[in-house]
Amino acid sequence: MQVLANLVVLTAIYALISCGYVLIYRVSRVLNLAHGELMMLGAYLLFTLASLFKGGPELAFAGAVGLSLLVGFVLYVVLMRKMTGELVIAAVLVTIALGILLRGLMVLIWTARDLHPISVLGWKNPPVPLGGGTSISSVALATILVAVVLYLALMLFFRYTRWGLQMRAVGERPLLAAQRGIKLHAVYALAWALSTFSGGLAGMLLALDSGLGSTMVIVGLKAFPAALVGGLDSLLGAVVGSFIVAAAEILAIHFIDPLISDVVPFVVLIAMLLVRPWGLFGTKEEIERV
Amino acid sequence: MKATHKHLMAGAAALALLAPGAGQAAPDAYMIGLSVDITGPSAPDSGPTADALRIYFDRVNAQGGINGKPVKIEVRDNQSQPARAGADAKSFASDENVILIINSALSSTYEPVMTEGRRAGVPVLFAGGVCPKEVFPPADPLMFCTSSYAAEKDTEFAANYIHEASGGKAILGTISTAIPLSRAGIEHGISVAEKKGIKVVAHETIPPPTPNYAPFATKLKETKMDWGLTWGPWIVQIRIFEALRQLGWDGKLMAYGHLISEDEMLRLKDPGLLLFRTSSMFSDGQPIHKEVMAAAEGKTKFPTTYMSEGWVAGQAIEAALKKVAWPPTRAKMQEAMNDVTIDTKGLRGQPIVWTKTNHFRTESAYRVYAWSKDDNKPKAIKDWVKVEIK
Repeated sequence: MQVLANLVVLTAIYALISCGYVLIYRVSRVLNLAHGELMMLGAYLLFTLASLFKGGPELAFAGAVGLSLLVGFVLYVVLMRKMTGELVIAAVLVTIALGILLRGLMVLIWTARDLHPISVLGWKNPPVPLGGGTSISSVALATILVAVVLYLALMLFFRYTRWGLQMRAVGERPLLAAQRGIKLHAVYALAWALSTFSGGLAGMLLALDSGLGSTMVIVGLKAFPAALVGGLDSLLGAVVGSFIVAAAEILAIHFIDPLISDVVPFVVLIAMLLVRPWGLFGTKEEIERV
Repeated sequence: MKATHKHLMAGAAALALLAPGAGQAAPDAYMIGLSVDITGPSAPDSGPTADALRIYFDRVNAQGGINGKPVKIEVRDNQSQPARAGADAKSFASDENVILIINSALSSTYEPVMTEGRRAGVPVLFAGGVCPKEVFPPADPLMFCTSSYAAEKDTEFAANYIHEASGGKAILGTISTAIPLSRAGIEHGISVAEKKGIKVVAHETIPPPTPNYAPFATKLKETKMDWGLTWGPWIVQIRIFEALRQLGWDGKLMAYGHLISEDEMLRLKDPGLLLFRTSSMFSDGQPIHKEVMAAAEGKTKFPTTYMSEGWVAGQAIEAALKKVAWPPTRAKMQEAMNDVTIDTKGLRGQPIVWTKTNHFRTESAYRVYAWSKDDNKPKAIKDWVKVEIK
């Protein structure tokens, strides 16, 4: 039972992180390899706002979430916009450079020491009993709920809203979409904003649960196989991929050796790339274009 | 003839300018090179060490320096990358005015730094990171270390303490991380514990960058362990403890008390977290603690309680430099470091004594701290226990 609870929590964490990879890739075919750093930036923003607005934790949290959204928008306008029309690989390289830059800046600003935003916010993280001697932390429960709400909201957004439909159109036929009057840059900027929003949210929840340190970047990278296994252009795929990778990791910890849990996601990824390189729910033609 | 003489003089001057070390005017200061991880994975430990060294020698220089000369430290960020650390060491070694190289980073950077140090005959001091085996007896003539921790010595003490505190009845689970030194330390601790008759029921090795520690804690809890022993990076030690507590585990965990541990004890206020360390805690409130905190206040982004590793390194360098007559050379520095007693004024349980064959310390002392609800601060629950280093 506890193993099952752990599986749901880890799936939710990976799903929240991998969502950001999918959002940008689906619209622009760009792999954002600075996603781990942007996730960490969201957590640092929360820490800073929590320190500034002592006594107003909800305000600090809302502010950090809002800033995460803004960061994505600004990054697109200032940096990624100039990559429109360039080779996809050039844009990916820019995201790598962005990640290195952000990592250095964050260490210089906040130092590399472990921080605990939850203490500054004045919140607690007690265990939540689930029955049968099983429990998860309060923040882990919040992570599951946030992941469910986020994915439902995004699916509704893509299906029923004008902007969501425009994002799907741009993702499928950007030239045609532009010819039909859809503003490509606005759609791309929205994709970046939503991606940093979801990544920032994941970073904040991780930091609330177990602290904020420089290793969060690697956690961000570990969710990458989940997005690829599910299919980089599918939100449903991101959830299923997250579940598969989390299950492989937890089963390895519990029944084989905890040490190999670190490499298991990548073993799953390699297996998937050999059998179905476009992922479980990805579109075949999409991956060929990359 | 006169013209020829002039040409010869000009040629000699040109040759002198091209010679190695040319252009490096003999400085009027003791020159030290510091290769440190400021922005890499070891920055949480190395960053405060670098800050403490800077603050320490700013103070020494303000008070007139050592033997009337200031101490200058050239700092380079190696990000714990072996190639960068090697390049730093090479650069320092090529400057003949540098009489000591300090390295503070992950152990993967040690080999290239030691290689350059040996090649140029420059003493190398490791501070704030784990001590390499080369400093233990019989020590490499050029390698020295002031860091507080030494994997196998630490876990040996911890296993003995668990035996003593539990009356030999502990059911022990151990946690290491995927770093060779951490695994070796814990394996040694297990062998000591088993020789003492302690039942060891689990040994889990955890990769450090993991998003959720609950799956590892679940496996450990299922073993019914009532004591835990861990030695490794702080992040793993503390996160596994918190994950165990989230699952309702109510045992005691012995963890190595890194720089950050005092702050963390304050955050958690959990009497079941026992920290063993060779450094005293600032909450002890000794004069040296107040002195360090006052000196560091407003001069570092890190909490002032993180300064002890760098401060002890500063004390060691000062003690050695006092024996280095002007003009300083690498050989004089090495000779001085080969026979020096460093009074840490209470930052450590014992003075650090270096001899020709022991560049770690001849004796170490351990203390165990736990959170005291009554005093609302960390308190020593086992006072200094001396351990001889042979």
